[in-house]
Formats: sequence, structure tokens, C-alpha cells
Amino acid sequence: MLDDKPAGEEATTRRDALDVARLGLTLGAGDGAVPLLADVTLRVGRGETVGLVGESGSGKSLTARAALGMVPRGARATGRVTVSGVDVLAAGRRALRDLRRTRASMVFQDPRASINPVRRVGDYLTEGLRARGTPAGAAAERARELLGQVGIADPAGAMRRFPHQFSGGMLQRVMIAGALSTEPELLLADEPTTALDVTTQAEVVALLKEMQRARGTGMLFVTHDLDLAAAICDRVYVMYAGRIVEEAPGRALFTAPAHPYTRALLEASPSAHGDRVAIKAVAGRPRALAESPSGCSFRDRCPLADDRCAEAVPAHRTHRASAVACLRPELVSP
Amino acid sequence: MTARALAAWLGKRALGAVLTIVLASVLIYGALRLVPGDPVLALTAGRRLTPDQIEAVRHRYGLDQGFVRGYLSWAGDALRLDLGTSLNYQTGVSTLISGRLGVSGLLIAYSAVLAVLFGSVVALVSAVRGGLADRAATVLASVTTATPPFVAAIVLLSVFSVGLGWFPATGAGTGLADRLWHLTLPAVAMATATFGVLARVGNAAFAEELRREHVEVARSRGVGGAAVVRRHVVRNALAPLLTVIGLLVAGLFVATAIVETAFGLDGVGSLLVSSVSRRDFPVVQGVGLVAVVLFVAVNTLTDLALPFIDPRVTVGGLGR
Repeated sequence: MLDDKPAGEEATTRRDALDVARLGLTLGAGDGAVPLLADVTLRVGRGETVGLVGESGSGKSLTARAALGMVPRGARATGRVTVSGVDVLAAGRRALRDLRRTRASMVFQDPRASINPVRRVGDYLTEGLRARGTPAGAAAERARELLGQVGIADPAGAMRRFPHQFSGGMLQRVMIAGALSTEPELLLADEPTTALDVTTQAEVVALLKEMQRARGTGMLFVTHDLDLAAAICDRVYVMYAGRIVEEAPGRALFTAPAHPYTRALLEASPSAHGDRVAIKAVAGRPRALAESPSGCSFRDRCPLADDRCAEAVPAHRTHRASAVACLRPELVSP
Repeated sequence: MTARALAAWLGKRALGAVLTIVLASVLIYGALRLVPGDPVLALTAGRRLTPDQIEAVRHRYGLDQGFVRGYLSWAGDALRLDLGTSLNYQTGVSTLISGRLGVSGLLIAYSAVLAVLFGSVVALVSAVRGGLADRAATVLASVTTATPPFVAAIVLLSVFSVGLGWFPATGAGTGLADRLWHLTLPAVAMATATFGVLARVGNAAFAEELRREHVEVARSRGVGGAAVVRRHVVRNALAPLLTVIGLLVAGLFVATAIVETAFGLDGVGSLLVSSVSRRDFPVVQGVGLVAVVLFVAVNTLTDLALPFIDPRVTVGGLGR
């Protein structure tokens, strides 16, 4: 299946699966312009699992979608987004379609809404391959194989059934199989477990990791669940109000968060182990970039903020294992 | 689905259809009894009849019996396709109607095809393109929806028949090609309002499907624009649209009354109009009954088609 990718690409070896550099996104123009993302820089290496964590409205889904060139209507993007060597923001419609057919795919949040309810599951699974010209027979063969790999019993029968005949968890497995059918180098998982119940969540996450590891696919795992991201990702980016505020290896983030927001997020999630303590919600409500204060976006919710935080957006600095956009990370984790 | 579930579901649908027809026929028969004064006077409408004839009419409509028995004997005759005798033509109502059903049927089919074809195309293009196309389609749909068939008929007649002379003003023609040529203006007149409603409803249905997440997902997979529209928008909007189309097409039957009269066509619609003005009660009842049966038939057929278009519509709730 890999052989129908355009030739000549392998010459530029060891590119990252995804490389986002200073991505900015603005809706509209002039006085009414609404900024959505600012200065987002992140990287997903080949075979690497990278988490992108934030509250709703932080811009994590926008960032993931930008990797496929899916920019909201009327929005203007700045910076650079590269998916295995292809400049996504500069790509024309054709190049974008090729990119989506061969290099990058996305697993969406709600499988029920993401798979056309009136078409058969087999139709969904083969659609990506058929779009790039794989013959129907070969595509169906590949789909059956993948269904088996994602743990669906009786793949041949499942191909003929309709989405409503599957449970949410099973349907998410179908979507994962569909996303992997084109053997992408980059898998974007946009809150793939949020719509599922807890026991199913663990299974789906395990499956995603397993499939990703076996294929050496780079994965950007978008979630609001910091604990989950820290547990399964090699590196995690924490997003707040359209900006990346911290980047750290998964484990380090868990033990020594460097940004006050990261710490607040960790404290806000209930722990299954240790003493029972009251859950501390993050004070205030999440901000979008457009309504965030000057300087550090988090300063109006931050217990450590002082006048200096209002002066400018803090630059990323290294503190222990993190790259953090905070002036005083040593107060967060000494 | 099992064969038994399918049979049970079909049986239920058929029962519903029959009940509707029975209820409507009670109303149609009862209308005669609701006429103020002696129903015989309404039936005979001032024609001079001998006492024997009056007695025959009385017996024919069961007026010499109670309502229930009268209805039963009338309905029994109707079931044997005996709808009584026209007071005006002195021929069987069934013969009168069946002789005109060809013209009316073709007219309804012709205008249905026109309305559905142009309505869906305008709806789809305006929904997909948006912007100026969308606004233009909205204006067109509003104007056509607000145009009743008799207005459309007058405009079409004066422009294309009297003015340009492209189409004949009256008559149904002979032979299929000639007949279609004769029926073009009437069909357009009938289709106008239906087209407008369909262009609007269709636009809304397509636009709604276009916003669905699975459409975005398909695009995210590099499926081409035309394929996305065909596979994920048109296919999904088909079920809601079919229900509307069924109702609209059944409603066209009513419009034949005006349009056939305006274009001098000898169809069931013009028969109804002339019979009403001549107080030919048996014919009016007969046409009413036929209209109800056709309406129910069209709607039942659309209902039957739905589970095949949308797999989520289960057959009698047993489909899974």
C-alpha cells in the first residue's frame, strides 16, 4: 500500500511527521479580526506520540486541523505547517487532497457523527483508498485486514453493516481502521475517546498506541485529559488561549509541571490513588485568545501573577525538563 | 430483517392506508347527508325527474336506509368500481373518470418530473455554491412559491401561446409527442409552485447535510468535492426530501382542477370543476374518492421506500 505514494520523496530523509512553526490563525480582517492561534510551534517526529492538551476553546483542535490544511472559512493562517516535507499552508487543492489521501489522517471525536449513517461501514473504510485510485477489490481486502487488526470480529460481515449497528467503541475502532487504511505517516487523533465511556476509552487508547507503534506512525494526540496525555505520550504540549504554554516529556509534566496552568490542570483532575482530596477547579473560566489579557494570557487566573506578567507575552524558557512560557517557573516546581 | 417482520410491517402500512381511505369515504358519503334540505334535491339539482327516477336515486344512495346501511351499500358498489351514474352525462361515473385519467395522469407525471428535476437541481446548486447563487435561488423560490397555478397559467398562455405562439393554448393533442407538446404549458403552470417549495425545502435539506461532521471527515480524507456531494450530501438528504416530494406530487392532483380548466383539457380535474358547477353530485363524490385513493397510494409508496434509502428507518421497529 505504501508504494502508491509519489516517488522521489524518500530522498529527503528523516523529516518530521509534523512540523508546525509559529502558526497563527486570524478570523476576518481589519478591526473585527479575531485571533484564534498565535505563535504555535510544535513537532511530531516519526513514530513519536505527542500530546496536545488544553481546555475547550484553547485552539488544540484548530491546530490539529491545520495540519490537514483544514482552516476555518474566512480565517487567515500565518507561519508554516509541514507534514512529512509538504508545506500544507502553501499547498493548492490538489496537493492538499494528495496529502490527505496519503500522508496524514485524522481520527475524530465522535464516531457516530463522523461516519455517514446511511452508508455501509465497508464503504467508509475503503473511501480513503478508493479516493486515490486503489481498485475496489484491493481496498476491500485491505479494509477487512484492518478490521481484524483493530479487533472487530467477523470483518467480512462488519463491512456490510451500517454504523448504527455498532457500539460507540466499536465504531471508533472502525474509524481508526479507516484512518490507518492509507498508511499515513501522521495520525491526528482529535479527542478520540471523549465521546466514549470510561472502559471503552482505555481500550481505544491502547489500540491507538499499539497500531501507532507497530507502524511507526507519528501521532498527535489531542485531548483535554492531561493525565492521559502524560501517561501515553512521549512529549506533551499544553495549550492555553491559542498559545503553547509548556512543552515537556510526558512523565516530567506529571511530576514537575513548570507552568502554573499545567499545575492547575493536574490539581483539577481527581486522582485514583493516594489520599482523597478535594478537587481544585481552575479558578475563572477558560479564555479564548481574542478575550485574553495583555502579556501572559493566563495572568488573570494565575495565583502567582504580578505586574511583570502584563508587560509582554512570556518567551519560552527552559526550566528542568520543560520549555515553558512563564516568568517564574521556579515558583511552580522548584 | 426477517420475512415475517417485513410481512408484519407491510400489513401494518396497508391497514393504515385502508383505514385512511375508509375514513375519507365516510366523509365523502356523509357530505351528501349534510346538504341542507332533501339530499335528493341536491343530487338531482333541480332537474325534473319522474317519481320512479327519484325513487331510483333514493335507493342508489341508500337514502331510503339509515346512514350506516346506506354507506355500506354505496361503499360496496364503489369497491366494485361502480361509482354511480352521472346526472349530467347519464353515463357511469367510473367510465367518465377512467376515460380522463390518462390525460390527467400524464399531466401530473409531467409536472412532477419538471418540479422535482428543476427543484432539486436549483436546491443543490444553491446549497453547494452559496453566496449569490443562494440568494438568487431564494428569490426565485419565493416568487414561484407565491405564484398560484391559475396565475402561472395566465402568464404562460399570454407569453408562450398567444405572444410567441410556441405552444398550443388548448387541447390535449394526439400521439405521445403531440400530447407532451400540448401538455407542456399546463405542466409548467402546475409545477411552478411545487418547484418553488421544493427548491426551498431541498436547499435547507442539502445545506443541513453539508454542515454534517461526516462531510468534513470525508473532505479530511481527500475525497473530491463532487464525490463528497454525491455520496455524503445528496444521498443523505434523499430520505427527508422523498417525504416532501411524495406530499407535493400527491398535491398536484388538486391543481389539475384549475389548470385543466384554464387550458381546456378534458381531464379529471376539469370534470370535477364542471361537475361542481352543474351540481353533478355522483361525479364529485367519485372524483373525491379517486383523489383520496391516489393520495394515499403515493404516500404509502414513499413510506415503503424510506427504509431502503435510510437504513436507520427500521422496518416496523424490528429491522435490526
